[in-house]
Amino acid sequence: MVLEPTDLEVAPGEVVALGGPNGAGKSTLLSILAGALRPSGGSVEASSEVGWMPQRPALYGRLTPRENLELFARLAGLADVAAAVDRALSEVGLDVEERRAAELSVGNQQRLNLAIGLLGEPSVLLLDEPTASLDARRRGALWALVARARDAGDAVLFATHNLDEARRVADRLLVLEEGRLVYQGPPGAYREEQTTPNAHEHKDTGL
Amino acid sequence: MRAIRLLLAKDVLLLRRSPALAGALIVYPLVVALLVGLVVRYAGERPRVALVAPEGLPSVLVVGKQTFDLQQLFDSAKEVKLVRMPAAQADSQLASGQVLAILTVPKGFTSDLRGLERSPKLILRTTRGGLSTRVVEKLRSFVYSTNLDLQKAYIEANLSAVNLLLHGGDGQIGKTRFSLLGVRRARAELAVLARSPDPAVAARAKKLGTFMGQLSGAVGQVGTFLRATANPIQLVHVSQGGRSWILSAQVQAYALALALAFVAVLLGAGAIVAEREENVLGRLVGGLVGFGRLVAEKIAFVTLVAAGLGLVLALVFGLIVELGHVSGGQPWPRVPLLLAGLLLAAAAFGAFGVLVGALAREAGTATLIAFLVALPLTLVALVPHGTAPVVAWIGALFPFGHAVHAFTVALYDRHPARLFARECVWLGALALAYGLAARAAARRLL
Repeated sequence: MVLEPTDLEVAPGEVVALGGPNGAGKSTLLSILAGALRPSGGSVEASSEVGWMPQRPALYGRLTPRENLELFARLAGLADVAAAVDRALSEVGLDVEERRAAELSVGNQQRLNLAIGLLGEPSVLLLDEPTASLDARRRGALWALVARARDAGDAVLFATHNLDEARRVADRLLVLEEGRLVYQGPPGAYREEQTTPNAHEHKDTGL
Repeated sequence: MRAIRLLLAKDVLLLRRSPALAGALIVYPLVVALLVGLVVRYAGERPRVALVAPEGLPSVLVVGKQTFDLQQLFDSAKEVKLVRMPAAQADSQLASGQVLAILTVPKGFTSDLRGLERSPKLILRTTRGGLSTRVVEKLRSFVYSTNLDLQKAYIEANLSAVNLLLHGGDGQIGKTRFSLLGVRRARAELAVLARSPDPAVAARAKKLGTFMGQLSGAVGQVGTFLRATANPIQLVHVSQGGRSWILSAQVQAYALALALAFVAVLLGAGAIVAEREENVLGRLVGGLVGFGRLVAEKIAFVTLVAAGLGLVLALVFGLIVELGHVSGGQPWPRVPLLLAGLLLAAAAFGAFGVLVGALAREAGTATLIAFLVALPLTLVALVPHGTAPVVAWIGALFPFGHAVHAFTVALYDRHPARLFARECVWLGALALAYGLAARAAARRLL
């Protein structure tokens, strides 16, 4: 994926939505910000810990949720692994610890995916389509979690196809098209027709 | 190191939770050990050969003054196990593989042997299978040792005829009886004639007497000449003791290398691709582990599993050799040395597998490519060096040939240090080279 040179800053206590059609480069940008992909040019600076929730669950299917969390907590070098795992599980409300991750529902796998991203209490959260597999109640819980993070002074950047969600939750909206930043501003001021002929992909899914 | 240790523990746990893979890794060495055990056992056994003798074999055969029990001679053959049976049954058993050859004693064999007029013939019939060469060699060896025994008897019989010629007396060749004056008595008679008053007779008798003297001297040497010409070159076997270079030793080394090659390459390819399939690669390299340590961990994991599997195989082989009383097997004192070779070979194969996985990117493709690549590169190492230098160079760049050599040297060489160290350096260098290549290629997995 080719991303055009883009300067992007997310301030503490700010929630930024990242919109755009499929293949626009949203996931690539988040992967670069998370350090998973190395950009061919430019740099990423984070003042503190970054938590990342990839679009597809990034976890070991044959480990239980707790084993997954413990492994990533230890790899991150967290001091109190047990406390960090309990906190992350509590944050996402996941209580199916005995089953292997692969046996969980898609929604619960996504919650575990988020829990792994929350380990170490990051002050920057990168969420790639976080509500894609969640039911209405879980979506509400997720946005409550994002609100708490904002209140705590954390920066949140999330990718979404859902403009309505972006308008309701985000302080700022960024829109990417074919790797190019085509809109940056208040979510309410964005009109999909103003940037792209295939804007139907941006339409609120109504979830 | 901490991250590598954590991922290693995770991979071992995941392996334990994959019953099919763990089961295959347990069954695989046992199947290989069983097959090798059969080969090892066969290497120590005499091939079973049908003996067809329509006229039967005489229990008493007199050659000169020596008596042979031909039945006993065939029954006690050390080289092959001769089983007497009718021709039809022999044909049937050869066709079904129950015997590896048919040795036929044709009509007239015994009379030819007794008659000393022409060489009696045995007829050997084999299939065109891979084992026929071995049976032919074994039977050649049997005929050779039997000929040696008979040769001695024939020489003694021939020498008694020479003695008869020299000293005179009654004799028999075949069915013909005769009486000989003998060279020495003829010489004595000529000596009498040489004193004849007739000078012409005396001169001729003296001349003949001189010739008889020369003849007597020459005939007296016949025994020595006969023995020398019967065996122009004699093979004297002096056993050095210690470990012998037998078929079973080579089979064990090849089986170990083969098992390691397939398990380590496939496991290495699968292990690195699994991280991509689980979609955790981004999380890991996004600040937790890094590609270098991830590749190192995968190589360490494969080394642990494959070397453990190789060790189990080696121990099972040792038991087979021990319980089967196969000569050339003294496996136990060399196990530590073998383990060092197993670890290095597993690391080299594992690094190669990780490289294949990183290049292939997908589990199915990685497995297929690992299998497709491992098989010819394994066979390349079997091509003798003198046959095709280019092939030998290619083989040298794959760990299989070095692994086979290292295992063989570790298990059966009397002074293994230098050769073993050389192969270990090769394996270590290949592990490092493939590991570095895998590290560079691993970025493709993202």
